[in-house]
Amino acid sequence: MSGILGLMDIAKRALAAEQLGVEVTSHNISNVNTPGFSRQIVYFETSMALPSPYGSLGFGVDVTGIERAFSSFIVARLDQNTAFLGENKTIKSNLDQVASLFNETQATGMTELFTAFWDAWHALADNPSGAGERQALLTQAQNLADAFSSRADQLVQSRTAITQQIGPTIEQINNLAAQVAQLNGEIVSLEVNGEMANDLRDKRNLALNKLSELAGINYYTSGDGTISVSLPNGASLVESVHSWDLSYTITPSDTVSILWNGPGGATTDVTSSLRGGELSALVQVRDTLITQYQSDLDDIAQELIAQVNSQHSQGVGLDLYTDTTSSYFVTTADLAAPLINNPSLSFGDRIAAGQFTIHVEDGSGGTVATNIAIGAGTTLNDLATALNAVPNLSASIVTSGNENRLQITAAAGYSFGFSQDTSNVLMALGLNNFFIGDSAWTIGVNDTLINNADLIAAGTIDPATGDHPPGDNSNALLLAEMGEQTVAPGGLTFSDAYQQFVTNIGLDAEDAGNKQTYYQGLVDQFTQMRESVSGVSLDEELSNLIKFQRAYQAAAKMVTTADELLQTLLTLKE
Amino acid sequence: MRVSMPTIFMSIQSQLQRLAEELQYTNAQISTGHKYQQISDDPVQVGGLMGLNVETSQVAQYKSNLDTAQSWLSATETALTNINTLVSATASLAEQMATGTYTAQQRAAAAQQVQQYMEEFMQMGNSRYQGHYILSGYRIDTEPFTMQPFAIQPPEMHLQAGSDGAATSSGTYTGSSSVTYIIEIVSGGATGAATYRVSEDGGQTWSATNTTAVGPLAIGADGAEVNFNGGSANWVAGDRFTISVYQPITYQGDDNSLELSSGRGSRMAVSTVGSEAVGGAGGPNDLFQIMAHLKSNLEANDPAGVGARLEELRDYQGHLTSFLAGLGASLNRVEVKQNAYDTLNEELTQNIAKKGDTDLVEAATSLANKQLAYQAALQSSTQIMRMSLLDFM
Repeated sequence: MSGILGLMDIAKRALAAEQLGVEVTSHNISNVNTPGFSRQIVYFETSMALPSPYGSLGFGVDVTGIERAFSSFIVARLDQNTAFLGENKTIKSNLDQVASLFNETQATGMTELFTAFWDAWHALADNPSGAGERQALLTQAQNLADAFSSRADQLVQSRTAITQQIGPTIEQINNLAAQVAQLNGEIVSLEVNGEMANDLRDKRNLALNKLSELAGINYYTSGDGTISVSLPNGASLVESVHSWDLSYTITPSDTVSILWNGPGGATTDVTSSLRGGELSALVQVRDTLITQYQSDLDDIAQELIAQVNSQHSQGVGLDLYTDTTSSYFVTTADLAAPLINNPSLSFGDRIAAGQFTIHVEDGSGGTVATNIAIGAGTTLNDLATALNAVPNLSASIVTSGNENRLQITAAAGYSFGFSQDTSNVLMALGLNNFFIGDSAWTIGVNDTLINNADLIAAGTIDPATGDHPPGDNSNALLLAEMGEQTVAPGGLTFSDAYQQFVTNIGLDAEDAGNKQTYYQGLVDQFTQMRESVSGVSLDEELSNLIKFQRAYQAAAKMVTTADELLQTLLTLKE
Repeated sequence: MRVSMPTIFMSIQSQLQRLAEELQYTNAQISTGHKYQQISDDPVQVGGLMGLNVETSQVAQYKSNLDTAQSWLSATETALTNINTLVSATASLAEQMATGTYTAQQRAAAAQQVQQYMEEFMQMGNSRYQGHYILSGYRIDTEPFTMQPFAIQPPEMHLQAGSDGAATSSGTYTGSSSVTYIIEIVSGGATGAATYRVSEDGGQTWSATNTTAVGPLAIGADGAEVNFNGGSANWVAGDRFTISVYQPITYQGDDNSLELSSGRGSRMAVSTVGSEAVGGAGGPNDLFQIMAHLKSNLEANDPAGVGARLEELRDYQGHLTSFLAGLGASLNRVEVKQNAYDTLNEELTQNIAKKGDTDLVEAATSLANKQLAYQAALQSSTQIMRMSLLDFM
């Protein structure tokens, strides 16, 4: 259809095409700051040429479509690294909080409290009868015990705080999966007639990126334009227009287990197969890292309690006991079991066959020493009976609820002390002990000593004479020297064991920090690459705007020209 | 590479953020003075620093232990030096009295002086440091040397050739001052036949002569008794023996010596056991026993006995000197250790400063560098951000 009217038609379609160009450009400019937006490009092509007597005649412009500038390869790499970044970022930020509990770069760290504790024993050894030294030792020991328990408490709180983050994170994952499934549906219905749902696809890519940050995922595009998402172990989160939820439970052993709720009510524990993403980091920090720190800290506290008590129970203070009750207890169910390896006693495994000596002293300094043997089958009752048989001493088992404790009482005017315990039974039962408790959380200073500092065992009872002069510092000296001995977990000194513990936390945090930096670099780079392809350049769009505007003006001029041609033709008749 | 708006702004933001972070870190290093703010800054170095800090406070504790050790050792040295001086004085008195030119009265007067010396020895031995008796081992609350009630000592025999007489002492003394009885056999023979006489003043005056018997026979008026052994004992005229009555000084402490920790795995004994250094528990180097004997010998007007005591005193002085030398060596060891710890402490402090303290020059330079970089980044960023095609449309 050549001719003037054909000319009009070319101009009309050119106008429409350039206007579309302006519209797409405007859309691009408007979305310059929209996250996940990919710039869109209008594709033009020449229209089908028409035959004319002089050969085929061009017939203007056609719009073939609007497409987004998008590289699925770059975005896939970006999402993958986003997952690792999300994981390490979360580990790092949570570990930083944990590490701040053990920040030994500043004064008042636990190292200082440890050395102050041993120093206080040294001071007591220097002056074994000094009331001031005894009081100072109690204060330092309490500071150390408080430091242990407050840190143990903070670790528990850290885990609780992480547990509280897990729920919302899973909810976000479920929402994003549902969003992807819904977008899948919308995209399919929009694209059914061959169009590209550019903006919806952008939205879906953005949702996938957010999802990657929360959980490491695999996804692939199927032929109908939908994207299927699955966890690393293959459990499907999104399949076409369906999505499946994750949930979590706390197991009896206080670990988090992440459950995948698949079709038909099937649930699978996917905790161990999570790779990358915040969720995996939260589980890892809560159930691997912090639990490790807790058990390391407990090990140190436990060994401190055992070692200090084991030595302390061998000694004697300035005063003897008139009565004392064991700080650890045996449950009623375990009463019949021997003391050695008794499951009720935290330190039951440290009791060995052996004996200890109990010295009963009358008011005028005369003492009677009795050896009490601990054998493989000795029960708490046997021990009470043996002690009860000692003249001027009565021993019984005090029961409160399920807890059975050994109480030893001297007859009026008598007092008693211990020495030469080769069985460790005094330590394990909590008789003549310095510390109470069996973990970082429960460690404390024995109240009996707090009430009477003269019971701190700086000296020992001479097994031959029953003498216990006030200037005897032998036990305090052994305790002071314990600070430098390699009796802590790992064959280290207590200071070194704690130092190693702190260094390990520091190294974990540093490692997560390094990984975070590494993946941040990758994510930055892939983001740059993505933006290089998909990002809007205002200068580019502005020049396009002018380009389309000028073309539009020219097309309009074509209409005018065609119109003038037509008028010229019409005036021929007059 | 195609540059889009997000590319430009994202890189500006991330670079400025990174520079700001570095500035903040350097600033914290300068303002706190610590190179590391968190254990994750450099866990290995922070761990090393912890170790150094532990070592520093251990060294401080050892130094404080050594201070205590020095006080104990010095106090002991003072007490023992005083005793030594007085032993010399006693020895020169004994030397005079061992010569034959002195009378019984003079020796009796010397005996009084010896008694006073003995009491002075006791007081010196009961010296205290911070309220603790320094020579009584672990029994720091007990006076190491106390004077016991009067005790009648066994006889000290001076028999003539051919005599095989033997005697024991008994009775309960009721007197209030020490005394030495000389019993002399006037005419020999078996117990029951031989006669004897008694002197309470070193042989100046004698009691009436009595016949020996298995006894017990009272001597003097204060309850002391003598028992001449019966059986085949054959006394010879001129046999003498002395029975002394005095208040013995005995040791009340124990055999332990206070030890302090002077370093990793090393202990130092800081107290001296009084019974070993001074006496009160018998044996050849019991100063109090030597002194009591000396006094008895003087009371008995026995220059030969005094001479023998003089030898014992000299032996004892040698024994005491070895203790003083030991104390001197210990004090020297304390000093050497103190010096070593001072040096170590200095090194540790330097090491900690080097490892853990901010190098201000370095940090200030780095801060200036980062500041410059930050300013440059801001400047170039604003230049880039300002550029737009819009300005020309």
